[in-house]
Amino acid sequence: MSHDEAHASITTVSIDDVRMQPKAKNPVRTERWIAFWLFIGILGVAGFGAAYWVDANPWVIGTSLGIGLSAIGYGLTAWGKYLMPQGPFVEERHQLGSSQEERDAMAAALVERGGSVFKRRKLLGGLLGGGLGIFGVVAIFPLLRSLGPLPGKTLEETNWKRGSKLVYQDGRQVHVGDVAIGGIATVFPKGFERTTEGQAVDQTVIIRIAEGDFVTQPGRETWGPKGYVAYSKLCTHLGCPVGLYEQQLQLLVCPCHQSMFDVKNGGLPQFGPAPRPLPQLALYVDSDGYLRAQGGYHEPVGPGYWERS
Amino acid sequence: MTDTATTRGTSKREKREQAGPYGAVGKVVGELDERLGIAKGRALLDKIFPDHWSFMLGEIALYSFVILLATGVFLTLYYVPSQEEVIYHGVYGPLRGMHVTQAYASTVDLSFSVRGGLLMRQMHHWACNIFIGAMVIHMARVFFTGAFRKPRELNWSIGVTLMTLAILNGFVGYSLPDDLVSGTGLRIGFSILLSVPLVGTYLSFFVFGGNFPGTAVIPRFFIIHVLLLPLVILGMIGAHMGLLAKQQHTQFPGKGRTEKNVVGTPMFPTFIAKATGFFFMTTGVTALLGALVAINPIWIYGPYDASKISYAVQPDWYMGWLDGAARIMPAWEFSSFGHTWPLNIFVPAVLFPGLIFGLCYAWPALERRRHGDNELHNLLDNPRDVPHRTAAGAAVLALLFTVFVASSTDVLANFFHLKLDTVLWAMRFLVIIIPVVVYPLTFKVCQELAELSDAGKRKRAMIVSRTAEGEYVAVEADVHPEDGEHEADALPVPTFIEGLSDDAAKTAAPSNGVRQVDR
Amino acid sequence: MKKRMLIPLGIVALSSIGGTFAISSGSAMADTDPTRAAVIMPTSIKATNPPAVAPSGVKNAGNANSTIRHYKNGQLLAYGNSAIIYRAPASNLVSLGAKLYALNCASCHGVKADGVAADGSSAYPELVGLGPATIDFWISSGRMPAADPVQLQAVRKPAKLDAHQSEAIASWINSLEPTTPYLPQVNVKGADLANGNELFALNCAACHTITGGGDALAHGTIAPSLHPVPANQVVEAIRTGPGNMPVFTGNLTDAQVRDITTYVTTTLQNPATTGGANLGGLGPVGEGLIALALGVGILALIAFWIGDRT
Repeated sequence: MSHDEAHASITTVSIDDVRMQPKAKNPVRTERWIAFWLFIGILGVAGFGAAYWVDANPWVIGTSLGIGLSAIGYGLTAWGKYLMPQGPFVEERHQLGSSQEERDAMAAALVERGGSVFKRRKLLGGLLGGGLGIFGVVAIFPLLRSLGPLPGKTLEETNWKRGSKLVYQDGRQVHVGDVAIGGIATVFPKGFERTTEGQAVDQTVIIRIAEGDFVTQPGRETWGPKGYVAYSKLCTHLGCPVGLYEQQLQLLVCPCHQSMFDVKNGGLPQFGPAPRPLPQLALYVDSDGYLRAQGGYHEPVGPGYWERS
Repeated sequence: MTDTATTRGTSKREKREQAGPYGAVGKVVGELDERLGIAKGRALLDKIFPDHWSFMLGEIALYSFVILLATGVFLTLYYVPSQEEVIYHGVYGPLRGMHVTQAYASTVDLSFSVRGGLLMRQMHHWACNIFIGAMVIHMARVFFTGAFRKPRELNWSIGVTLMTLAILNGFVGYSLPDDLVSGTGLRIGFSILLSVPLVGTYLSFFVFGGNFPGTAVIPRFFIIHVLLLPLVILGMIGAHMGLLAKQQHTQFPGKGRTEKNVVGTPMFPTFIAKATGFFFMTTGVTALLGALVAINPIWIYGPYDASKISYAVQPDWYMGWLDGAARIMPAWEFSSFGHTWPLNIFVPAVLFPGLIFGLCYAWPALERRRHGDNELHNLLDNPRDVPHRTAAGAAVLALLFTVFVASSTDVLANFFHLKLDTVLWAMRFLVIIIPVVVYPLTFKVCQELAELSDAGKRKRAMIVSRTAEGEYVAVEADVHPEDGEHEADALPVPTFIEGLSDDAAKTAAPSNGVRQVDR
Repeated sequence: MKKRMLIPLGIVALSSIGGTFAISSGSAMADTDPTRAAVIMPTSIKATNPPAVAPSGVKNAGNANSTIRHYKNGQLLAYGNSAIIYRAPASNLVSLGAKLYALNCASCHGVKADGVAADGSSAYPELVGLGPATIDFWISSGRMPAADPVQLQAVRKPAKLDAHQSEAIASWINSLEPTTPYLPQVNVKGADLANGNELFALNCAACHTITGGGDALAHGTIAPSLHPVPANQVVEAIRTGPGNMPVFTGNLTDAQVRDITTYVTTTLQNPATTGGANLGGLGPVGEGLIALALGVGILALIAFWIGDRT
């Protein structure tokens, strides 16, 4: 605040001046109207206190509070709008800028006093600047680097290995006779079905389709025994679990942004923002009739990132 | 002068005379002024605020932030920011026995076992939605009236930053309960960080403390949500208000209003009364919403599990535009030299918002360059008088709205019995066509409105009456206070009010309760 | 070139760009014309329904964990366990079923319930070998008799035939070729709601949404709302996989199906309303609309009242 404000405009005006009049045409009636609403407000906030005290329903507690505060607010605002002096009143704007002379003085203070110091001690200035600069950079190191591990190969690996037993989330092993044609199940490698890591990375869906419908991808002839096909449940768009299977359309639809993957044709994306097919897991049936993985996924599961080649 | 030894005998009249004409208040003012110099603060009491209703939209945001702070403090006393698994044993039956994180369990307990807890949680969430909504319309008002021009460019940038920080804080905040819907948003957030070229994997692993989901993200987000971002937001609100106090509010042109003055009502008592009343009403509306309309019912969603998902999941509305952009973006992902460019994620989720916010930051400078305008502006534009700016703003808002609508393609397809694919394709086209059409349309509307000199203004009514003899008489209606031309000349805020004594107050009340006023 | 040509040319140019990237985006589109075929049944429909259990104990839908098996004259009458009992339709209803079938179903599905082959515009599936649960589901949910046989997906409507009549038709069809799954009866005592919630979220919410409201799926299909569905229909749908819904046989035990069903018919259909009006279970979309329209809208109107308009 500038100095001249405190000394400015000590004025007097008459109470009957038009600018001091309430806006209301009938101030006494307006006052009664406002008083009524302030009284409702009192009832409301007191009601809130009472409702809270007796542990009433949340909606009772909240409604009484809401009505009480709204009524008090309305009363106060109406008082301000209809009964208090409305003016119009005016004030001059503060002069924001200073004169050219003052600006030159400021610039001079910086340049002449500051510049003279650094111009004469260039070595010191340089060393100081270097030190502060380097500190500024290295100060960021603990803020960033300590936050988490380097990604390394983590994104490329899952817990699926050669011989991993397929289990449901409740731990039961998947038998080859379990899923009927047109059925789907979410499976994990045994031991990882209840871990957050397993759920996040290893999640896989198995779908059983009629063996005649299957379009065999080159190199994947043995991957789908008895009509079972296994895909990573992580959408290749943004990583949502692709749980939505439509058995007649034979499409896996991602619920998040509606990418559609063709189940019988290698998980190829048919529509939507997903760019790559769902990685497929090679399965085999072991001697007891249970399903197992032939190995891990052949590519990183989930969305794309820079290092993914 | 009364002897100190006989103070007990001082009469009330003598004490009153000692205190001076302003009694106890005068004494307090004197004591404080000797120590702090507060008498100079009269300028604050006299401060003039222009009265236009659209200047109050920013206040909605400010009051909502206060409500967020107050309800938020309550919530922090009960919420446990931990991803450790526990078995839920609380009051809500259908969840009993389930393995959930402590964050989720504490939020459910807060909703059902803590008295007033559900009300506070719902008020907090509603206040956040209102906060950002009010910021949007406040920003639109500032933009369309040109209040961002010199000398207020810095305040505009602070405002845009406040918007970004509020959106971020909202996202971080609603992810804290670790429920199925918000957890899905976290997974998407992780993937968006992954998609940044060069540093994406490092960024995501650093923020989440490892691969998704890890155990660090909820505690980290908690501290970001309750301490780090609110501190920055508070500081920026302080700067925003401080700049407003220093540079004073803009005003619309009108009678007696110039570039060098401010016309309106004084801070004390009128503005404070109206502003405080408005604050109470904002809190009242938020409380009514929090009481009567359910929001974020996490007990229905269940806890987050990375292998589970619900259909028809969207982020909160202020993130919805990013979700819509992600849905309609074609599947463009390129590989070159052993590296992947996930443009299908990077473009809608990082580049697009970056461009929008960058445009906002750059706009004052762009306009200054285009008009070669280096003047100070304290008078606002009528949007119809600046058709290029208004049309550009309308086009961008239309684009953002279309992209926002695109985030509910499945809901629209279901509601209107259309194919999902049809709705998605329609959105892809609309997102280009709508802004291109809105711009010239708005431009034309502005031009036509500007040509009508009295569009939107009240007109004096003619009252036609018929006498008993059958003669018609036409008389102009009374002047209405909204007729700006008939307003009195503005005065500086008076310090002393003449005629305001007890006797005057008594005699001024006539018997019929109606005060006669000359206008 | 005149300045006023700029705008229309701009629209044309941008639409062309939009059209180009629309056509060139993503991989090839699958054949999606919905008007071409009505309900597309996989050619190997019979194989979806495992054969009836012979005493030699071949594994069967719902039978993987069946501890109860009732036989009469070599026919399986009922199977199941303490969670769900599946019983065969009453055999004395066969003649009634034959009459009802002839009146209501034969015109589309053939007099011998062996269906009409897909001929490009209509496909009325064979009903023999589908199992009584399938027949009962489609009839008791009102989907059959279909109002419009050519539409892509039959929707729930008030049932034309009641439960007794539905069982009769199922009984007649079952008499042509006895097949499971049979008509389920759920025992809700001992249901684990938390487990039901978890399984629902894992297997069902991806289509039906976590609030059970249903939504539009790919290519004009929809996942229907679960709010009007009674318990036995939930089990029938899970065990038979109607239409595009996947079928859950050995991958869900009867106890798990019972948990899901009880969760759906209690918690899902009657959500706790402590927080106030629930906005149709639409989630953040509905909440945002209300916040903007009611919250910000009302407050902006209040501001309009408080302030000046000049």
